[in-house]
Amino acid sequence: MRARARWLAAVAALAGASVAGLAVVRRRSLRVERGVAALRLAARGGVRYASNAPRLFATAGEHRQQLRNDLALQTAEDVAVTLGTMKGVLMKLGQMASYVDDGLTPAARRTLSRLQDSVPPMSPELAAQVVTQELGLPPERAFATWDPEPIAAASIGQVHRAITHDGRAVAVKVQYPGIAETIEADLGNVALLRRMLKITAPSQDVDALLAELRERITEELDYRREARNQQMFARYYDGHPTIYVPGIVGELSTRRVVTSELADGARFAELAGWSQAERDLAAETIYRFVFRSLYEGHAFNGDPHPGNYLFGGGGKVTFLDFGLVKHFTAEEMRPLAAMVKHLCVDDDPEGFRRAMVQAGFLIPDAPVSTPVVVEHMAVFYDTVRERGPRTMTGEYASAVTRRFFDFRSPLAAYARIPRSYVILQRINLGLFALLGELSATADWRGIAEEIWPFVQGPPCTPMGAAEAAWCSHRTAGMHHGPFG
Amino acid sequence: MTEPEINTATGLVERYAAAFAAAVPSRLADDGYFGPASVTWRLAGDLSAPVAGLRSVLMQALHPLAMAGVDQHSDWRRDPVGRLAATATYTATVTYGDRAAADRAARRVRAIHEHVRGVDAVTGLPYAAGDPALLLWVHAALVDSVLAACELVGTPPTAADADRFVAEMAVAAELLGVPPPMIPASTAALGDYLAGVRPELCRTPAAAESMGYMLDPAGMGEEIAELWQDIRDAAVAALPGWARDLYGYPAPLPITPARRTEIRQTLGVFDAVFLGEPGVLEARQALTVRMRSARQE
Repeated sequence: MRARARWLAAVAALAGASVAGLAVVRRRSLRVERGVAALRLAARGGVRYASNAPRLFATAGEHRQQLRNDLALQTAEDVAVTLGTMKGVLMKLGQMASYVDDGLTPAARRTLSRLQDSVPPMSPELAAQVVTQELGLPPERAFATWDPEPIAAASIGQVHRAITHDGRAVAVKVQYPGIAETIEADLGNVALLRRMLKITAPSQDVDALLAELRERITEELDYRREARNQQMFARYYDGHPTIYVPGIVGELSTRRVVTSELADGARFAELAGWSQAERDLAAETIYRFVFRSLYEGHAFNGDPHPGNYLFGGGGKVTFLDFGLVKHFTAEEMRPLAAMVKHLCVDDDPEGFRRAMVQAGFLIPDAPVSTPVVVEHMAVFYDTVRERGPRTMTGEYASAVTRRFFDFRSPLAAYARIPRSYVILQRINLGLFALLGELSATADWRGIAEEIWPFVQGPPCTPMGAAEAAWCSHRTAGMHHGPFG
Repeated sequence: MTEPEINTATGLVERYAAAFAAAVPSRLADDGYFGPASVTWRLAGDLSAPVAGLRSVLMQALHPLAMAGVDQHSDWRRDPVGRLAATATYTATVTYGDRAAADRAARRVRAIHEHVRGVDAVTGLPYAAGDPALLLWVHAALVDSVLAACELVGTPPTAADADRFVAEMAVAAELLGVPPPMIPASTAALGDYLAGVRPELCRTPAAAESMGYMLDPAGMGEEIAELWQDIRDAAVAALPGWARDLYGYPAPLPITPARRTEIRQTLGVFDAVFLGEPGVLEARQALTVRMRSARQE
């Protein structure tokens, strides 16, 4: 009881206070002494709901409104009014806006962004109702300590801090009540969705986009899937020198509530004030995480939004939010790897083209010469064609984006993006933009060679060496092949 | 077709949004003629509002003298969106503005009405826009349409709240110069009034032309036109049978629960577009906060 009182006092004292520069990345220690956990919780409280919204638009809506308690959603009916009748679906479409970057009309972008801003948090009472329904106990009993004020907006829900009965500081994501049913019903109106997409993204492959939208949203409605994915990543990267994925507390996670370890660290915006060397290291970790997960785990966390990272020093990065994970089958991975191998390692343009056709990116027998195909596609592989340090720039990221949406290229009539690869656009539109914003320099080819299964190159950086040591200590059988 | 006509639905949303945002005062002198505890505010913010608006115009046009006034004195053919936006702006100001703003807007409309006089070519009858009988018709058509639209595709008020709404709205008619004893103050009185006025109603060529345009605006993009169709179907279905008969519209398909859901989804999209307009979110939030605190008192 006294511990709780102290904790609340600490929160009261620190909540709202700026904690910029704080970079305590908690690693490994699942059980921490309650008082320490409390302090960390309190420190995290300085990051307000408004400025700290993960999983918003990757590009559009960094300007979420201030936390407005007077507007909080108080009942399931309020939720239905705010997010029902297609509005929740449109919001999710907005989150996917980064897929279709240039494809969205400016009016659509503005509307989707404003819609995101229009969703206030749940009142403490409503959030508590959901927790009670899901965990069978009111939050003050399900957890040793529960902070009724949300710390962040989340995908169709919000995040609260808490301490578990065994002393773990955790982040609890709570879904808006009734939202899953509403959104499922709205996703059933395919005709309307198609019309909306035709209006908002006229230049895009509407049916592919629609299928992707429905699939992704349906997945996100069930937090258990996200919990499984995050746990998979957490287990996979357990003990990694710089990558940290907070573990899931399975017994406190359900369909509508997911509880994970609470992590600390600097936000992406703070990283801008760090030295270039630190930024390079952070970028290297993110790069390794993306491609190691893809090549070894056949999984891609499709949400490289800046809000989903917390940074420690020395390249340590905590990865948050696994609501948008795509798993690839071996058959889907094979042509992707073959494309890289043929173009970048074997210098075999015809092999590259065959792999492109096999993957479905290019129709067979397209009346375009192979040099033209290579010329068009090379920009995507620009950073890994040669060894040596290269600097990622915003210009490179935009060039990649432009090429992706270039409908006037000689290839455009014959190129497609098969549905299962749609999410990979996020590598181009998200990851490269992120690294470009950091102006990160590294030997990307060297790092890629370490990870490429068809090269398995030696470590080319100190981080690579530490990672290699981590790999060699891993349990046999976990190293190669998909997660789980 | 001129530029404003290309995107009638979206153009109307834009202009109404600007009017709505401007109508909600940032500094409160008073709560206006309705206020945060009123049924009027609740129903005006209902998702069904676009259906109410369209149904209301469809009803109003059936009075030959009201229609003649609009037809002969406004430039609705050149700028239909502008004509509708003007009415919508006035309604928003009277609904949400403080009393001074509502009074100013009403004075302006009354001054315009002074000059709207003439002879209807169809009936041969003289008309004047300031005629309380015509003003009452326009008023009653709006009040009835809000209730009908809420009933069909919105959140229907209780019978008591519907009565309160009709009574609250009387002041709007009064502002434009209808003597209070003439104005229905309950749903029953409203029904009696509508039944009594029916013999005067007919579809004039001007009504047919303008409403044909409303239901099927030329130059709308194909996708927007399909969205508009849901609003239109709902508005026509919400009309009284006799009004549909006057227009010669076929009996509409019944609004099944599934169809109602579809229409509401389309209305949700319109609402999202509305919210995306500058100032709308802030205005709506300001209203929400005021309505909530009124409820707690």
